[in-house]
Amino acid sequence: MATSIVIVGVGGQGVLTLARWIGEAALAEGYDVRIAEVHGLSQRGGSVEVHVRFGKEVYAPIVEEGGADFVVALEALEAVRAYRYLRPGAVLLVNKRVIQPPGRWYDLKELIEAIKRSWPRSYVVPCYDAALELGSALYENSVMLGFLSQLLGLPMPSSLDERNQAAFRKGMQLFQEAAAADQ
Amino acid sequence: MRLLLLGNEAIAYGALSGGVAVATAYPGTPSTEIIETLEEFKDRFVHWATNEKVALELAYGAALAGARALTAMKHVGLNVAADPLHSAAYTGVVGGLLVVSADDPWMYSSQNEQDTRWYGLQSYIPVLEPGDPAEAYKMAKTAFELSERLRHPVLMRSVTRVSHVRAPVELEPPAPPRWGRFTRDTKRFTLVPANARERKKELVEKWEKIIDVAGEYMTAEGSGDVVIVTSGVAYNYVKEAVKRLKIEAVVVKLGMSVPVPRKITELAKSVVVVEEGDPVVELQLRSMGVATKGKLEGFFPKYGELDVGKVAAGLAKALDIPYAPPQPVKAPLEPAPRPPALCPGCPHMGTFYILRVATSGLNPVWSGDIGCYSLGINMGQQDLITHMGSSVGLGSGIAVAGGQFVVATVGDSTFYHAVLPQLIDVVTRQIPILIVVMDNAYTAMTGGQPSPSKAVPVEKITEALGLPTFVIDPVDIKKSIDVVKRAVEVVKTGKPAVVVSRRPCTLIATRKARRAGLQLPKYRVDPDKCTGCGLCYNLLKCSAISKRPDKKAYVDPALCVGCGMCAEVCPFGAFVVEGRREQWLELWRQA
Repeated sequence: MATSIVIVGVGGQGVLTLARWIGEAALAEGYDVRIAEVHGLSQRGGSVEVHVRFGKEVYAPIVEEGGADFVVALEALEAVRAYRYLRPGAVLLVNKRVIQPPGRWYDLKELIEAIKRSWPRSYVVPCYDAALELGSALYENSVMLGFLSQLLGLPMPSSLDERNQAAFRKGMQLFQEAAAADQ
Repeated sequence: MRLLLLGNEAIAYGALSGGVAVATAYPGTPSTEIIETLEEFKDRFVHWATNEKVALELAYGAALAGARALTAMKHVGLNVAADPLHSAAYTGVVGGLLVVSADDPWMYSSQNEQDTRWYGLQSYIPVLEPGDPAEAYKMAKTAFELSERLRHPVLMRSVTRVSHVRAPVELEPPAPPRWGRFTRDTKRFTLVPANARERKKELVEKWEKIIDVAGEYMTAEGSGDVVIVTSGVAYNYVKEAVKRLKIEAVVVKLGMSVPVPRKITELAKSVVVVEEGDPVVELQLRSMGVATKGKLEGFFPKYGELDVGKVAAGLAKALDIPYAPPQPVKAPLEPAPRPPALCPGCPHMGTFYILRVATSGLNPVWSGDIGCYSLGINMGQQDLITHMGSSVGLGSGIAVAGGQFVVATVGDSTFYHAVLPQLIDVVTRQIPILIVVMDNAYTAMTGGQPSPSKAVPVEKITEALGLPTFVIDPVDIKKSIDVVKRAVEVVKTGKPAVVVSRRPCTLIATRKARRAGLQLPKYRVDPDKCTGCGLCYNLLKCSAISKRPDKKAYVDPALCVGCGMCAEVCPFGAFVVEGRREQWLELWRQA
């Protein structure tokens, strides 16, 4: 059985990099891996969606609608857009951040509340705030990776540089706090 | 060495292991990373050509001389290269020639869904169809030997979900490049009618042989009464769908999907066909007398991409077995669309604003083209976008048809790719059209490959042709509007004029600034001065600026790159800069 993950966000947030890190960690654990990336036009500030599948044996490179075990969103509105991929019992991870789409204004709190209400199996992770504390929004994907690694049982990928490693550990810590709060 | 490689990287490494000496391409999603990967290997001739025809000609010529050569392009690029492609089948080759064409089902980055495999049938060139990066590696590696054995070019059809999928690939070291020297063989290489007729006779005979060779690429696995024929990426969906439906079936995979091997008729008289793209395999099977259930009768969708769910549903329908597909979850709200947009600080954003103001009252036809500036569609400033060169090509036709004022917007890379010959016609017939070359020094849409614009500046060409040419800096909005108005006046007198709007791609410039340790200035809105007029978020449409509920502007500090175009367009001085802009603008200009 393969684990199917859909990672979404807005162009420029490091969605591709996050997917590659997961793939790298899964490969290091001896799994077969497929990452379906997006390049070109689809990256330009628009919604970005990357699929990662890993397991003993993987063939299909993409996740069908209703087929994801995990949906990982680096942005809250994109989390809502990716609902169609959730399979019953799937886990939804959402970065606590909204990037306003053209012509509309969303309230982050309301958006997060709507997500929590409609999908109880969700974690709201303050990756953006944690990344800013670490010095740059650029680290929000590695914070998310640290959090997600605890759910997937995957190690830290070896290619992370020092600052991303710090962000990864921050993500792990956020997971432990969330898990403790659940109990 | 086992690495997580993109399909395109795998093709590149496969070609290296196969001894490629000459590799050429014009960038195009989803094919670009093939040549990007090869660029590092300085012991080969690796080149970004001006267009796909030039790219294929270089590779074809090298292969005629006996070298091993590869050329790569996206599916629509093959149209540009189609002329030499067809001749290559007539002359054949001496060294191995591999033509890689990457299709884009469901058009993530393309204007159409064209299936490369038709070209194989039309040009009598066999088509290899890898299903994943590991297979793409093997096929690229061995394609040169195949090509040399057949003395014939070989096509490889990739798709987005092979080219842009990352998967583990076992790599072998590169083989030394195989160069060659041309040996005269006039009867074969000069396709004058007398020779071409002989070549055509040979070609149809050769094709019969290739139909048998295709059998070497056919595999069959599993057992049962049901036979499923598949190829390329579709094989992966079949493997998982068969498991999901728990059906006993023989899965036949065609590694070479054009031509379909003759020996397949020995396997079954009736099959289910699962393929990505058009029913190319299915039609071939029918022509061989095999009954099929595939795309022709709609068992599988006739457009878009396959996935496991679609293949499972199609198989269930074809085999008349029950199947309940997973039901997508309903979202708590309908999110506003987030279409692709020009990056914050993109020079094109300034150019479109300048053009809009300088042509106000003229109601121009915005004749558009392929590239990042296609996103001018968000500003209502791209009335048509059809193919590389549509801006000046179709724009000229519109201008001569009824005398409308036409603004043709084209990027520098597309200018060299397709517009150069059109310029000659514009000059010889003095077609009144405003040609705007948005020169950002890179082929930006595909990730920033170098364009010839630094070596061969646009204005040197247009001035040599006697075209009135005006050069502007798009971040300098107010000054540029006045310059463009002068160009507009030229066109109003019934003559062509050219504007070159020059500033490098912001993405590349910000990357260079980060490396140089330069802190970018940031703009913010003074809410007391902002009146909510919307010029910045409605007309300039900077994607770092959004509209607050009170209509006032808001600049996202994480997205702002300090270009200052918002301050240029704001009539109320509501944008306040923090940090210094001069040093940044200078570094950017030279990026």
